Amino acid sequence: MTLSLSQVLSSHQDQLLNHWLHDLSQAAADSGLNPAHPELMEPLRALFWAIIAQLNQEPAQQPNQTPSQASAHAPDQPAPLASERSEQQAALKTELQQLIAKQARLQRNLSDTLGFLLHLKHLVLKALLAAEAHDPTDRSILWLDHCFEQIARQAFDSALAERDRYISEQSLSIMELSTPVLRLWHQILLLPLVGVIDTGRARQVTDHLLEAIAKYEARVTVIDLTGVPIIDTSVAQHIMKTVDAARLLGSRVVLTGISPEGAQTLTKLGIRFGDVISRASLRAGIAEALLITGKRISAMDGGAR
Amino acid sequence: MNEPASIERLPIRTHNDIVTARHAAREHSARLGFGRAYQTRLATAVSELTRNVIQYVGEGSCLIEDQVDAQGCSIRVTVEDHGPGIPDLALAMADGFSTSGGLGAGLPGTRRLVDQFQISSEPGLTRIVISIHKAP
Ligand SMILES: Nc1ncnc2c1ncn2[C@@H]1O[C@H](COP(=O)(O)OP(=O)(O)OP(=O)(O)O)[C@@H](O)[C@H]1O
Ligand SMILES: [Mg+2]
Repeated sequence: MTLSLSQVLSSHQDQLLNHWLHDLSQAAADSGLNPAHPELMEPLRALFWAIIAQLNQEPAQQPNQTPSQASAHAPDQPAPLASERSEQQAALKTELQQLIAKQARLQRNLSDTLGFLLHLKHLVLKALLAAEAHDPTDRSILWLDHCFEQIARQAFDSALAERDRYISEQSLSIMELSTPVLRLWHQILLLPLVGVIDTGRARQVTDHLLEAIAKYEARVTVIDLTGVPIIDTSVAQHIMKTVDAARLLGSRVVLTGISPEGAQTLTKLGIRFGDVISRASLRAGIAEALLITGKRISAMDGGAR
Repeated sequence: MNEPASIERLPIRTHNDIVTARHAAREHSARLGFGRAYQTRLATAVSELTRNVIQYVGEGSCLIEDQVDAQGCSIRVTVEDHGPGIPDLALAMADGFSTSGGLGAGLPGTRRLVDQFQISSEPGLTRIVISIHKAP
């Protein structure tokens, strides 16, 4: 008589696990496998048990049914409850995600991970064929195929999700980097604007600035535009809004770094920044800010008189 | 001395295309020897016109043509789109008129930034042609 997949698994699982981990840690160059990093052994072990649990869900034997058609009832062996099945699937997914996140941190490719998984499939298949030598059941093999196909697809999804997360994290940190609000001196903030100011960034800049003004009780904010290549009407409007918001919180604004040609262009466009103080250089702007807060920079020997 | 004119056609579909177009305008004017003030004015004008395309239509094109001859050199930029058109040109060209809560300075400001400015608009075709000149 033939043995079911779960019967084969239950008598071979420890051996399979050892065999698998051994192969992965010692992978030879010609095997097409990249050796697994020692840090992976624990996640791989956890994943192994999740996969075994999944494989054990093989629908009970019923002639003329493909695995996906096989339904819940079977005479000799009660089929697993649906809730139990989805729980196992979720566990498998979690283990996969953890493995893939770890692989990503180790700078390994998805193809390495897929190689590990397919190697396990190979080992299980070999065990199955050896145990059923005289009458291998196609159904078990189909089920095995089906499971590993799903696992591979899930691995793929997890890897994509991991990459998406990484990318959005990076663009967020670039955004943060590009809108620093610096505390220049007691009650004086410096906001150096660099690059393209679109609506999204303008809002972020304003949010950051307002937070900082409130936190440091800033009386003056120096907004430096040296790094803004083009000040068109849209950028100008964003700056005006930022200036207004800063004013509402009680901070005066000094604009610096508008180039002579930038100033000329603004005039032609018909834009005036109201009664905002504007200074050509950052240096002059800082001097102005200090003046407003009643301080000044002077030479050391001034006090030695 | 008639040099072959250099022509560049840029599609305007995303915000990044605005940056690309004004960059190209600046490069063309720098290459032909226009001063920094001119370069900035042309780049800003292109920024205004292409941003209008993105903002009010969503898609259009920007054509940059260099012309060098005995009269000097010039750069002509044509920005056009196949959007709904501007119903009242006189109003749109007035300082402070905006249907989007903007400053309403884009079109009238652009006219003051360049040496020549032509605008035509009807449903299905809005075209603005601007140019800057320099004596040899
Ligand atoms: N390509 C276009 N297609 C349709 N309508 C347009 C187009 N360009 C401009 N307009 C209309 O003309 C108005 C004036 O444009 P203009 O660029 O001068 O100001 P704005 O875009 O509203 O504000 P901003 O000062 O930020 O440019 C716009 O509000 C819009 O209604
Ligand atoms: Mg505009």
